[in-house]
Amino acid sequence: MSIHFKQRALVAACVASFAASPALAQTEINVVGFGAGFAWADLFGATGAEKTQKLLDFEKEHDIVVNMEFADEDVARQKVLLDLVNGTGDYDLVMLGSDGAVQTFSAAGYLEALGPYLETAPDLFDPAKVYPPFLEANTVAGELYALPYYSFGAGAVYRKDLFDKYGISEFPKTTEEMATALQTLKDGFAADGITDVYPLTMRGAPGEEPSLDLNGFVYAYAGYPAWFEGGPTTPEEIKASKAQPIFTGDFKEGFSTFVNWSREYGPPGIAGHTWVDMMNLYAQGKAAILFPSAINAFAGIPSSEVPEVKEFSAFAPSPAGPSGKVVQSFWTFSVGVSAFSKNKQEAYEVLAFLTSEDVMRDFAEVIGWPYTTYPSIMHSPTLTDKWPTEMLDQIEASFYDADPHYFPYIPELTEFMDHIGTAASSAISGAQTIDEALDELQSWATERMDRAGYYK
Amino acid sequence: MSGYAGQSIWKSLGRAAFLSVAVSFVLFPILWLALGSVKTRNGALAVPPEFIFQPDFTAYTRIFTQGFLGSFQTSLTIALTNVVLTMVLGVPAAYALTRMTGKVQENLSFWLLSVRMAPLFAVIIPLYVLFRGIGLLDTPIAVALAHLTLTLPMAIWMLVTYFRSIPIDLDQAALLDGATRLQVLWIVILPIARPMLASVGIIVFIFSWNEFLLAFILTSRDAQTVPVAVASMAGTMSFDWPLIAAVSIVSMIPALLFVGVAQRHIVSGLGAGAVK
Amino acid sequence: MLRDWRFWFFLPTLLALGIVVLFPTGYLLWMSLAHWIITEPGVYFDGLANFRTLFRSASFYDSARVTALYLFFSTVIMMVFAMLMALALQHSRSGILRSAIVLPLVIPPVVAGFTWRFLLNGEIGFLGAWLFPMVGLDVNMLSNPSGALVSVIIADVWSRTPFMFLIFLAALQGIPRDYYEAVRLDGATAVQEFFTVTLPLMRSAVAVALLFRVVDAINTFELIYVMTKGGPGRATQTLSLLGWKTAFQNYDLGGAAALGVVMLVVTTISAGIMFARFMRKA
Repeated sequence: MSIHFKQRALVAACVASFAASPALAQTEINVVGFGAGFAWADLFGATGAEKTQKLLDFEKEHDIVVNMEFADEDVARQKVLLDLVNGTGDYDLVMLGSDGAVQTFSAAGYLEALGPYLETAPDLFDPAKVYPPFLEANTVAGELYALPYYSFGAGAVYRKDLFDKYGISEFPKTTEEMATALQTLKDGFAADGITDVYPLTMRGAPGEEPSLDLNGFVYAYAGYPAWFEGGPTTPEEIKASKAQPIFTGDFKEGFSTFVNWSREYGPPGIAGHTWVDMMNLYAQGKAAILFPSAINAFAGIPSSEVPEVKEFSAFAPSPAGPSGKVVQSFWTFSVGVSAFSKNKQEAYEVLAFLTSEDVMRDFAEVIGWPYTTYPSIMHSPTLTDKWPTEMLDQIEASFYDADPHYFPYIPELTEFMDHIGTAASSAISGAQTIDEALDELQSWATERMDRAGYYK
Repeated sequence: MSGYAGQSIWKSLGRAAFLSVAVSFVLFPILWLALGSVKTRNGALAVPPEFIFQPDFTAYTRIFTQGFLGSFQTSLTIALTNVVLTMVLGVPAAYALTRMTGKVQENLSFWLLSVRMAPLFAVIIPLYVLFRGIGLLDTPIAVALAHLTLTLPMAIWMLVTYFRSIPIDLDQAALLDGATRLQVLWIVILPIARPMLASVGIIVFIFSWNEFLLAFILTSRDAQTVPVAVASMAGTMSFDWPLIAAVSIVSMIPALLFVGVAQRHIVSGLGAGAVK
Repeated sequence: MLRDWRFWFFLPTLLALGIVVLFPTGYLLWMSLAHWIITEPGVYFDGLANFRTLFRSASFYDSARVTALYLFFSTVIMMVFAMLMALALQHSRSGILRSAIVLPLVIPPVVAGFTWRFLLNGEIGFLGAWLFPMVGLDVNMLSNPSGALVSVIIADVWSRTPFMFLIFLAALQGIPRDYYEAVRLDGATAVQEFFTVTLPLMRSAVAVALLFRVVDAINTFELIYVMTKGGPGRATQTLSLLGWKTAFQNYDLGGAAALGVVMLVVTTISAGIMFARFMRKA
């Protein structure tokens, strides 16, 4: 089948180049990603299975054939992993998240460091033109391992009409004010007999899902990535100071707030909610605030048929915690070059193209959300025609406000994110108390770090 | 008239009540899925649910325009290949098994069953290594082969119970006439077993059609099966319930056709040999 | 042996399954003895270390408990439900009812999981947000630890009963009518009739269904994963999900293999016992 497919791709490529060029052996670059019809819709069409003229032009110019494979986010990981673990090298480019895969796979030696390549295709990708935090998020121990595609910073999207109704004049600037506002909304809904609108929608499904937001709370309350004593964020620092996990220590306040807010102000099903539920609830007009991964609200608003959601949704910067630092939620869906790729240079060229300003501009155009990785796009009509400048500035500020390393960059990151998220889900559902969940997390973490040889 | 007719009216009432509850439980989610497929994205999520609405068939047109048909083709190829492989391997094996006795027969039967016992998450990596090694990765044949671990033992077990019900005398008579064993199987046994073969074939087809994990792991790019396509759709940034529902409904059609056409055969086929 | 036709008839099956089963099983055994954690480069033989870690971990026992609960309740409910439906429909001439009942068979477990998750959703689901509250059932099924387990069992029963129903119905229809005449003359009730005639005659069908069901339940993955991801917390995290997580989220391939070996051994032994009890005499 794959041979058959390759033949077809070749034929397509030949047709595209009007069979004019001599029959060179074209390099094929295989990419695996998720979000068919969403990611790179300008290149692969609404199904993820076509090739647009733009892509064909690129292929022709660079003499490369790009094969895209889309899959479900969770399970696609299995395939990437199988390919990398076995060193197959079938995938030249792999999608990664900056909350685990980048750190883990780079530590395992599966990813090619991109530094040396950056200068080889400056017309496609120029790091100086991208918001630095998005590159920083994909940098482990000083090496850049992936280039950012769909990326976002923290913020809140809220319903101004509901805020007005209950006399909250502006969006809270601190977590303390936020707690008050949430209570006001809750009381207001109760007084008006509204039972199917909730003050807040967040995500609390087991696994790594809540961790991105939850660790943002921890960071805002503790003022540093409070996983290990003293807040080290690299394996070297942890080893040097033999820093023990502090999940029952400074980690606790942010964790508890996340759990308590979810329980008190969130929808009843929040212990199983993913970003999809978060988005659906907001789009259905069933939540007053979506926070802190504001982008999930922007994902829901366009398809909403609730007039108030369309008309009165507003953006606000993420509030600051007691430490003065704002609640974080910072992520990039990024793409890296497999260390087992047989055509790394060509793979990098495709990668540079996939994350180029031109492609990102089309992406911003297609999805229409106020997020992008290029300042030049942020301030261009692509977005300014659609969104108020003030909001775009606030969103831009959220990128600069972010500390991309608001959780430690250790190889075990994915595992930690998974356990932290599951502990949160457990506490939110009431299966465990906050203390029980954290005690368990603490002892698991201690043993895990010990086993990984951090304290030798 | 069936043996139960004329018995107490309470009993028939109870039976009717139970059946209506059971059938509604079974049908309701499917009905919901079908309704969802002709709603708008927002309408599908509305509470209280919309019962009266303008049906919107765009989800179905999108299936045809957005290239999901390719995954139907792949699924069909894989499932049919698997049915053929299962039957070609399973029928002689089952026949041989019924003509064995004692320990060997017992051990082989149990071994067949044990084939299904290793948890999938644990054998994914070995299977991947295996198919990579023999160069079949990313081909429908790899999936069909992997699906044999699910379908072949099941098929043989079902066939064995059936073949056992066919008197050995028939074998003997044919053998005396000078037939080979293969001829006995082909000329004597198979014609009798036709309804059973049909039902086993259909069930094998359905299991293969529905299987997700192996199909997902062992294929890429253009060998995506229907369940894999459904899953990948649910993971996109827009929770498009009508589209998911429409694909699910359409994905039922091939299996549904088989079941609809042959459901009588399934039961009678299975039934003939089941009580032994 | 080489001259025995039965050997040659069985050989292709032996070879085909041998390849897709023996090699992976052997490879799995090796993996379970290896230190193979992606975050720590290097793969080496590590004896029984993976098993020691496994038996020390709380989530293993937790998941074993969840698996046992899930396995027991789903199987019992499924068998009773399938049997009742088969009994109710055994004399029915209508193919429509029968076809209706086997419909879930043609729906992939992934889709079944999505559908039930959506139906039971406490905020936008037809059942969870509308029907249940309307009849005064105020529980969020998917985010309540026991509710989530019940939800998963309901969806599983829905999805897998039809297969069992078919086996039972077929077996019922294979029972000759005259078997019943004798007990009926003795004035037996329908219940007595079922236990003295029907059930004993269906023994092997029940055993086959049970064996396949147990193996199937232990390996159920997609349905639960899609519905709850094993949550809330770890409330529906069966051993299968734990293994998947260990391998593909925690990147501990050796550890996952060790769990796989333990599950394989336990399943084989329990199936062996069932096999010996029910099948041999049958």
